[in-house]
Amino acid sequence: MTLELPVDLLFGLNLDLNLDLTRVMTANAIVLPVVLPLLAAFLMQPLAQVSRFLARLLGPLVLTLGAWIILNTWLEVGPAPFSVAIGGFAAPLGIVFYADQLALLFALAVQVFTLLFWPGLGAGAKSEVAADRQRAPRRDALALLLASAATGLALSGDLFNIFVFYELAAVASFGLVCADGSGRAWIATLRYLFISAFGSVLALVGIAILYLQTGTLNLAQLAQVAPETLQGPIGLAAFALLLIGFGVKAELFPLNAWVPEVYATAPARVSALLAGLVSKLAILVIVRLLILVFQQPEASQLLLVLGVLGVLTGEFSAWRAQDFPRLLAFSSIGQLGLVAIAFSIDGTTGILAGTAVALHHLIVKSALFGLANRWSGGLDALTGAAKGAPRAAGLFVLFALSLIGVPPLWGFWIKLLIMVGLVQGGSPLDLLALGAILLATAVEAHYLFRVALRLYQPPVPDRALRLAPPARWDTGVAYLLGACLVVISVAITPTTEALRVLAQQTGDVLLYIDTVFPQPLAYKE
Amino acid sequence: MIPLSLETVSYAGAIGLVVIGGLGLVICNHLFRMLLALAMAESGANLLLVLTGFRDGAIAPIIGYGPAGAPLVDPLPQVLVLTAIVIGVGVQALAVAVLVRVYRSYGTLDMRELRRRMEGEIAAAAGIAAPGSAQAPLGQRPLPPVPDYELVRRSAPVRERGA
Repeated sequence: MTLELPVDLLFGLNLDLNLDLTRVMTANAIVLPVVLPLLAAFLMQPLAQVSRFLARLLGPLVLTLGAWIILNTWLEVGPAPFSVAIGGFAAPLGIVFYADQLALLFALAVQVFTLLFWPGLGAGAKSEVAADRQRAPRRDALALLLASAATGLALSGDLFNIFVFYELAAVASFGLVCADGSGRAWIATLRYLFISAFGSVLALVGIAILYLQTGTLNLAQLAQVAPETLQGPIGLAAFALLLIGFGVKAELFPLNAWVPEVYATAPARVSALLAGLVSKLAILVIVRLLILVFQQPEASQLLLVLGVLGVLTGEFSAWRAQDFPRLLAFSSIGQLGLVAIAFSIDGTTGILAGTAVALHHLIVKSALFGLANRWSGGLDALTGAAKGAPRAAGLFVLFALSLIGVPPLWGFWIKLLIMVGLVQGGSPLDLLALGAILLATAVEAHYLFRVALRLYQPPVPDRALRLAPPARWDTGVAYLLGACLVVISVAITPTTEALRVLAQQTGDVLLYIDTVFPQPLAYKE
Repeated sequence: MIPLSLETVSYAGAIGLVVIGGLGLVICNHLFRMLLALAMAESGANLLLVLTGFRDGAIAPIIGYGPAGAPLVDPLPQVLVLTAIVIGVGVQALAVAVLVRVYRSYGTLDMRELRRRMEGEIAAAAGIAAPGSAQAPLGQRPLPPVPDYELVRRSAPVRERGA
């Protein structure tokens, strides 16, 4: 009897494999967007010795390929989630990649946005290009490492694997932040490194507690055993440590002091990648943990409180900021607080609102940091910039209106969704969060309108010359993202429906467990 | 009263190391001490991780080692902690490299001084006024006289204690 069982199982699996060979092959290709950039990053330096031209092309090429593979997989395999056991070792022992629509969406976003904000593309004046040529291979390799680690964060289904990818993303971002080699960038990097490394220590302690309580770090298995083992204060402590640890990159409240310094000193495209992309993937990890492992209401409340504190501190600091990059940085802290509040709402509504606000922030804040590439001075210096760059100024107004939440734009629908969700929740904490969001919106409107007004004032004669219009590539990217925003705002109903399907799939814990530990159908029958 | 076993002491030690490291990061202003505090916190986390696989009286999980049927320690945390140690060493090495660059650029490792300079440089690059000091007088009132020990401290920002 015991002998027959594995044979039956084997035949069943074999049969499935034969029928679905192409599907399995396509599904397995999902590891390539993680592996290929990693490989390319380490080949970059030798290749640059042979041909600088090929080395420059390698990064965009690999990212395009990665985007194509993910799109292809998504279309071929269909909307149902699937899991891939790395190296053929099955789930509880080996590492799995879990790809549902949310993971695929963010993995695709990583490829596309790294490509759009590729540090080497459309570099500035000719005099910069010569100096840039020496640094280019190193910087490109770091950007590829960041893309690889971020894709891994979206796909991985094992907590320790996620931790390793998180560290990889951290180290790559340290290198990118200090890429221009100025003294202040070194200091900002060092402070960022200390905060980030201490966050990782806290996350590691959280992981140790989790392992002590459950004996596993596979997310699907954790989801199975969590209801018995992780209730009560110990589970909550583990969640708090993981939240604060992964919250460093997600710009969540206590450990976000690095944000304004780093975004004020790093190249604007790197700021766009860190604020837009990496923060969202850290949030994604926290959300996966919240949905699968920590289902107690206290965990959501903790996220809500950190979110409210982030919204208030971020928006008020942005109101006081006097230069454009730091204004965007503080506003980014506020927006990510809003993401945290949205994800803390119960059920599908919360996941829907959270995903929508995360995507909205990804599009808008990346584009704004792209515009800040040449507008990195104080706010006074922006006076009259609309005259030199009317299109960039127009795009700024569009993004600002959507960030504030002015009715026809996507930002309005998202804020509405969050507010309705909070009112339905109805607890005093929810209502407090509602008040905080309304207050923050007023503050946000004030400082963004102040910048917009300044852009359209008549230029001060001696200052107008100093301020160059944003580079053509950055304006082009901002155009593209603005077009995305307008299209989504027009097609708001289908977008929300698609996101609702995605949110239902993400919130389904049983689906996650069943996908990672498939029941052998042939044997059952 | 918790019985004072080896396990309890080890757990307390591991958590204590993390706490001491965290406090050190917050309290110290010298960058190298902050780095040492970070290293301490990291070893605390690693110790905690490896303790999760510990069993009293168990032997190393190697096939053919020790008597058959004897309890084994959990090998997985040992693998995990190996990865964590390697990551930690990498990050600390990077921190030392950046620290050297900072020292070469500014000639000091005092966090407050460096932070003040960074804020000033960011403000200068953006063409805005540098953030004011909390001690600076608002109006035209003269500053109180600087005590002698303060003058000595300000002239030598990097002190080598115990050197």
